[in-house]
Amino acid sequence: MTTEDMREELSGGIDTAQDLHKRPKRSAGAELVIPVVGTLFALYYFSTIWDSPWTAQVSAFFIGCVLILTSAIVTIKIIGALRRGETTLNFERLVEPRSYLPKRLGLFALTIGYVIVIQFAGFTLTTFAFLFCAMALLNDRKNLRFIVILSLIMAISGWALFIYAFEVHFPAGPFELLMKKVL
Amino acid sequence: MEFNPSIFIELFAETIQYWWVIIPAIFLGLIVGAIPGFSAANTIIMLLPLAIVLPVEIGFVFMIALYCSSRMGAGIPAILVNIPGTAGAAATPLDGYPMAQQGRGQQALAISFTSSVLGGLITTVLALVAMPWLAEVAFYLHSVEMIVVMLFGISLIATIAARDTLKGLVAGFFGLMIGCIGADYVYETPRGTMGFLELYDGVPLIPALIGLFAISEAMIVIDRDSILTKRGKEAVVTGGWGPTIEGVMETLKRWWHVVWTSIIGLFIGVIPGAGAAIASFVAYQQSKTYSKTPELYGTGHIEGLIAPESSNNGVTSGTLVPLIILGIPGGATAAIMLVVLQYHNVTMGTELFLNNPKLAYLPFTAMAVTYFLMIFTIPPLARYMSHVTVVRTVYMAPIVIAFTLVGAFVSRDFVFDMYLALIFGVIGYVARKTGYHVAAILIGVILGPLLETYFIRAMKMSQGDITVLFSSMLGNILWVGLLINLAVPIWFEYRRDRKKKKAA
Repeated sequence: MTTEDMREELSGGIDTAQDLHKRPKRSAGAELVIPVVGTLFALYYFSTIWDSPWTAQVSAFFIGCVLILTSAIVTIKIIGALRRGETTLNFERLVEPRSYLPKRLGLFALTIGYVIVIQFAGFTLTTFAFLFCAMALLNDRKNLRFIVILSLIMAISGWALFIYAFEVHFPAGPFELLMKKVL
Repeated sequence: MEFNPSIFIELFAETIQYWWVIIPAIFLGLIVGAIPGFSAANTIIMLLPLAIVLPVEIGFVFMIALYCSSRMGAGIPAILVNIPGTAGAAATPLDGYPMAQQGRGQQALAISFTSSVLGGLITTVLALVAMPWLAEVAFYLHSVEMIVVMLFGISLIATIAARDTLKGLVAGFFGLMIGCIGADYVYETPRGTMGFLELYDGVPLIPALIGLFAISEAMIVIDRDSILTKRGKEAVVTGGWGPTIEGVMETLKRWWHVVWTSIIGLFIGVIPGAGAAIASFVAYQQSKTYSKTPELYGTGHIEGLIAPESSNNGVTSGTLVPLIILGIPGGATAAIMLVVLQYHNVTMGTELFLNNPKLAYLPFTAMAVTYFLMIFTIPPLARYMSHVTVVRTVYMAPIVIAFTLVGAFVSRDFVFDMYLALIFGVIGYVARKTGYHVAAILIGVILGPLLETYFIRAMKMSQGDITVLFSSMLGNILWVGLLINLAVPIWFEYRRDRKKKKAA
């Protein structure tokens, strides 16, 4: 197997940096996200150290300037490619494959929900609910019985191993408090 | 303080009798090392009552065994699911994960285990023999020299960037910029914190690690049934014990690679505050620079996996040298060990070698025995562990998200850190989808603040004189080494191109 074969085999749906260059039409908008966010963050950072002593400024100014410079070069290159018609200003690469977009957004929403709810409902209950909902969503609501059992086993095992056996500080909720009283 | 082999042999025989403490500690360490957010330091803290109640020798042996195996455990998720258990294993997935995707997960684990054990054993013996001289390394390496050592690690960004230089540099400097968040080292001026008190100490590494690797990977893999490629699936299904034996043999064939990369880890481990992350980045970068096949790195290359794994286990022995000889802990775990030993009225330093030489040598014999016992207990697990890769992503992705997110909470008990992991997850997702390397971002986040600290320290001591960076002999040697290191890949590539042209 050659190096190129390996890269192609590995990419399986996710394109590597090299693949992006091979493509006739790139997704310029998506490729600009990191440089733009980086530049904006560097400018914000500079605003927080403007009146600071030199010790707080020296490395940040150097790093920030290089970041802005390299980001600017990436942007100029992309503008050049746009002019030549080699790329289009869209965000397609971030959402492809389109057919998985609802599932991906759903999983992300559930993940945000997990972080919010775990503070009140505790680790065990929230983990069970999250695992059940996420697995059911990704598996097109098939095998629900298996998913319930798997979610239950994972949540209870997590509680038994980390909270009960190792006494790790996980977010506590009604289940953890009840078990603490019972055991 | 001179090395006495008879004491070592006697102690080895005595320490092996503690197998009943060491073996459970090995498995416990393997588990805690594999879970992001947990670490040997946290586990020893949790088990502090046990470590204190046990007789000092047994307690010490338990802590050492846990420490060694947790270092090895961190490589398991890094290889199988692209999630390093600790920052010290952050360079492991660069070649370990592609191997798992190709269905060579079992072989990759066997390579990781063998190189960890060999690296650990070699550096333990070296540390024992060269302890007095190694302790001096910590004295000679000041801020100036440390700046160059950090730059060796950061130059890995350039190596990663070789495939797409601009994007690699943008990712690396974005990481360095994120690493600058927090109060400055001298005046405690908050910078770039967006008003969050939780960021005053800087960006915590565990949420960054979890977000960039675990969350983003989980969000991406859901569009495939399994993380394995088609060929990978066939390889896993047909694999018996063969890949494990093959992995062990492949590592043994490259014994010299294990030796020199683990020595890098030993030297970096001796320096207080340096650590396994720097060692594994430096070792990976050096390995690629002097390789005859640098183009294979990042595609599942065996040497790319050996380098970080043997070096981060080399750090384990190195960290104990300043602890034993000077009473200065080289890292968090060593600091907790020091607390336990002080509780037992054990004073570290040269006095310990005069009053209680057996206890002074015990950490190294315990380490040697632990690695020796690991040879028989850990490699056989590779076959079964590698089956994680065949779990369908519809089940694996939610489990990874739930258990790693809560791991982000554990390190500081802040819910804020879980949100932070989510933000890094989004950054990681966008970076992966658009060809910016997440490892380059992580290198920046890890090494950026360290570089700044040493730089400011050097500047303060020299009252702002930048020439201080070239004021020491050792520092200048390291600078030359760094320049050679950056020039060598360019020279090699130039030679390869010329050969190709001639052949054409």
